[in-house]
Amino acid sequence: MAATSGGFAGKVLRVDLSTGKIGIQDTIERYEAVLGGAGLGYRVLWDEVPAGTGPFDPANKLVFAAGALVGTSVPCNGRATVTTIFPTCWPRPLVGSGHMGGHFAAKLKYAGYDALIVEGRADKPVWIMIRDARVEIRDAGHLWGSGIRRTTLELSQEMGPDCVVAAIGQAGENQAPMGMVINSVSHSAGGVGGVMGAKNLKAVAVQGSGAVRIAGDKAEWEKLIKFHLSILGGNNQHVVPSFPTPQAEYYNPASRWVGQPGRRWGAAKPPVELAGDIYDLNRIAYRTNSAAYFLGGEAWKYTVRGNGCTACPIRCHTMLRVPSVTVRYGIPDMAQNTCIALQFGRMFFKQPGDGKGGEAAIEACMVGMHLADDMGLWSNYGQLQRDLRKLYEGGYLKTRLGSKEYASIPWDKYENGDPAFLLDIIPRIANRQGELGDVLSRGTGAIFDHWSIPEAEWARDRTTTYWKMGHPKHHANEDDGQCGVIINTQYNRDAQCHSHTNFVRNGLPLEIQRKLAAAIWGSPDALDAPGDYTPANVYKAKRARWSLVRKELHDALGVCNWMGPWVASPRWERGYAGDDSLESRFLSLATGRAIDREELDRAGERIFTLHRALTIRDMGQVDMRSKHDLVPPWVFEDPNGAAPFTKGTTRMDPADIALAMDLFYEIMGWDKATGAPTGERYASLGLGDVGEALRVGKLTPESGR
Amino acid sequence: MKRGRQPELIRLAAEAAGLGASLSRRGFLMLSVCTVSGLAALGLEQAFGADAPLVILDNAKGMILADPTRCVGCQRCELACTEFNDGRAQPSLARIKISRTVHFGPGGPTGGDGMHGDWGDGLVLQGVCRQCPHPVPCATACPQNAIKVEPETGARAVDPAVCVGCRLCQRACPWDMLSFDEQAGVATKCFLCHGRPKCVEACPAGALRYVPWRDLTRDGGPQRSGLSVVSPESARACTDCHVPAGKTGVR
Amino acid sequence: MTSCGTTGLAQAAAEAVREASREPRLATCGDVLAMLLERGLGDVLATPASGRDDEEADPRGVPDGAQPAAAADAAARLAALLACQPGIAAFVSLSGQTVYHAPELLSRTYALILDRKDSPIALVAEEIRTNSRDYPRPVPVKLFEAPPFDLSPEEIEAVLRAMAAGAAYQDITFAATTNGAVYLFSSLHLKREYAAFLAERAETLVLNP
Repeated sequence: MAATSGGFAGKVLRVDLSTGKIGIQDTIERYEAVLGGAGLGYRVLWDEVPAGTGPFDPANKLVFAAGALVGTSVPCNGRATVTTIFPTCWPRPLVGSGHMGGHFAAKLKYAGYDALIVEGRADKPVWIMIRDARVEIRDAGHLWGSGIRRTTLELSQEMGPDCVVAAIGQAGENQAPMGMVINSVSHSAGGVGGVMGAKNLKAVAVQGSGAVRIAGDKAEWEKLIKFHLSILGGNNQHVVPSFPTPQAEYYNPASRWVGQPGRRWGAAKPPVELAGDIYDLNRIAYRTNSAAYFLGGEAWKYTVRGNGCTACPIRCHTMLRVPSVTVRYGIPDMAQNTCIALQFGRMFFKQPGDGKGGEAAIEACMVGMHLADDMGLWSNYGQLQRDLRKLYEGGYLKTRLGSKEYASIPWDKYENGDPAFLLDIIPRIANRQGELGDVLSRGTGAIFDHWSIPEAEWARDRTTTYWKMGHPKHHANEDDGQCGVIINTQYNRDAQCHSHTNFVRNGLPLEIQRKLAAAIWGSPDALDAPGDYTPANVYKAKRARWSLVRKELHDALGVCNWMGPWVASPRWERGYAGDDSLESRFLSLATGRAIDREELDRAGERIFTLHRALTIRDMGQVDMRSKHDLVPPWVFEDPNGAAPFTKGTTRMDPADIALAMDLFYEIMGWDKATGAPTGERYASLGLGDVGEALRVGKLTPESGR
Repeated sequence: MKRGRQPELIRLAAEAAGLGASLSRRGFLMLSVCTVSGLAALGLEQAFGADAPLVILDNAKGMILADPTRCVGCQRCELACTEFNDGRAQPSLARIKISRTVHFGPGGPTGGDGMHGDWGDGLVLQGVCRQCPHPVPCATACPQNAIKVEPETGARAVDPAVCVGCRLCQRACPWDMLSFDEQAGVATKCFLCHGRPKCVEACPAGALRYVPWRDLTRDGGPQRSGLSVVSPESARACTDCHVPAGKTGVR
Repeated sequence: MTSCGTTGLAQAAAEAVREASREPRLATCGDVLAMLLERGLGDVLATPASGRDDEEADPRGVPDGAQPAAAADAAARLAALLACQPGIAAFVSLSGQTVYHAPELLSRTYALILDRKDSPIALVAEEIRTNSRDYPRPVPVKLFEAPPFDLSPEEIEAVLRAMAAGAAYQDITFAATTNGAVYLFSSLHLKREYAAFLAERAETLVLNP
């Protein structure tokens, strides 16, 4: 496949901050088999970052990678994966990725690059300027100490208003493992900010005037784009609206498709009324309002509009204007985000419903977004907030923190749910101040190490949602039984996989879900009703495998795993079926080389298996089953004592989970005893070199015995 | 329409109107005030005489109207423009302009109050071709007369077969709406997609509409001063019609 | 036997139903007849028929004195016409009449809601039962405050009281979540424990993004 054949930009940019050397590689020549994105990242780490490399060592690398579909109008693209030795992975940092949307990935493609690999360490603060073929390392001394907002402004002044800046704030500068990098106001890649800080890399700013070529027939391309648009739902591919409507047979109050005609973007000037046909392709951006979904109906009056990644019609980052926060807290009255990042501020406080009402929660969110997205502080999927609450409520801090420091923290504001508490706690952590600030800046594992608290105290407490290795669950058994558990065992940070949960929570009646499941994974038994779980079976294992493979594929192609895959659709005339081969159809047209669903899934499996290999190699451990693929004890408990496989519990059974893992390893072609890929499996996936290296190191099941 | 035919048709039209055979451009225009649409169909007003510069007098029939309060900054319009027309995704080539304004607004990264775009108040002021009425700055500046009227819509469109890539049109546009296709070496601009603009179809927020044309050149200021380079021949042709007030009748 | 399908009258009748569905509104036979009469098409139906095709109907109309029987006959013939129109569905309304809608324009779910708009108790009860049976899931009480139900909290309270007292609604019950939300379900289709679980789960989704 020639570099200019389409989809791919064709070049990988390398910048060595130690030597100042800037180089170019051919994407297809080196990385065709792993496609791009996370795949490219894993390959670089395998080839070039030896086991035992620390996250802040100059030898660690940061791979910012887009994907072949990024920069096109494929709906829901625009994603960049940032792969590195992940600092919050505990007890020992291993391969991990942050993922960020916004405009960075697309701009990198227009500049002519599929990826940027940052190596080494600069001896003083620098930023990387990329303007098409012109790449320079420039002095960032004047920016060091500034937040992300100012950094973006000043670099845009220097480069031009169309440039996209990915920058760290104070958290990353301080090499906090909980530091993150942000581009385009609100789009963050967690956990990698400190790695940038350790390299003295303040920012990467990109301008690009080039093109992503569509090698296939442009009329065919247009047709497929329009088809894809026609099967989109709302955010998370929820395919039914949250309200009854004449236009739909089904609805779901818990759906993220909240754009009911009659609602309005209340803070637009003048407000924008939502009206008309909810399936109108010129109205897709009105379906989703993350602020209304997460913060309640009150948020509509603060909504300016939706925002998000290049080319995505969903606009899941809701832009809010809340004038009171300027008066009360001295912060800008505008902020935007979604999901946990939107709720960053309010999650520090006790659960909603403590009598504070919607307004205080909204204000807390505004303060949280302002501080976290400017200082670049990550939440670890809300674990930071849960950890603080447990440390405080559980009395740990009272006994372990020095009394002077303890007294210096405005706990009264915390108790009162006063958003002003955030003005202390967030900078405290981002600046790594004091013992508390420092420990929390290092991730959950540091809590265990620093205060000699056994991990089990978290792992047994379901309210922490702690899973393993310093990170929380991410759509595990509470959403999806065995499938969710399997998925959550596989990574070195929280799983960040939404393939399964998008489907499970899309709002269709169970009967229809099961029909769709049968068509894709072979049997309606691939899916249970929520909290009405049945024993493990091969179809659930297949669905777990599909979920993981598709997540890696999306992270390699630069497509959003919070929207795809598209197995279901809102269209009753299709029986609510979507299209499970969209990724391969688009890639074929973009590159001009036909690839079918199975072949592309194979590439996804290759990428996922490479992640497995990296984990095995860097743990120096072949027994993944007992040393890595862990499930916390609370998964096997129920607060009311309900037994597994009874209606109304998400409690799993250890023997059943063991069976689920057996089934999973089996369909992956991995050794059942260790959960490690066999040499034969590596070879069959085109990872023969990887398999051989592991065999030599006695890290394959056959050689390890 | 071939250039050589024009004088003959004009002569016939002049005779039919009872005017003398020698009809100056101005006289012709006075004539055509009453019969604009009919003559527009013949394209007569476009080419008076074999050597006369191209002067676009007819207005476009439609235009793209952009509402900044609905724009969600997704850039699907830019991508539809180039993907569906040119077979590649290239915002720098797009004939509707979002990338340069989406982050900070048209005023750029000034900081402070009043900044638009994602980092300001959220308003995305889209750059849309106004399909200018006479004088059409880009067409006037073009020394090759490569910018012509597209018959279906009246859009002012670059004929890539005639364009030599001198970029004078780009400098002439007060709103900086001309793109340059580096691959083909020619300028390009919004041509309204034969009456079904791709950008309008692609917008997921209904921020773009295709509506009857009106003169937007007087709404708000231009983005920058255009450099209008007009060749001496073109300049002379201006004075055919733009004569001092008080002169009447056909010469 | 009246023929079906492609006659002008049949299509006009179907179009009348579609028009109503667009508003959205349910249409009875009488509604459709009235709309057809407005367009000068209903006279054909008004003549007594036996074994004749619509196109052969006597254009002279109905003799006086034959109206009631003719009206009933017209309704029956209309019903037969609509019964085999593709894209037109019918059900028996709360009022006992047959009502028509075009599912593509007005879904059955919404049509049933429209049908019960004037009977809040039936409206709430049936929606709860449908959700409990079809998805299955309990329904947050807040749903009924929003469009298209548009009930005030006081109205909802009155409905809940009436259902608690009414023999026909003993299956309707509620579960309260730990954060104070109330979910309604039908014990015909959901067991209490499971409904409580689902309600609790629904309330946690926001913090499980």
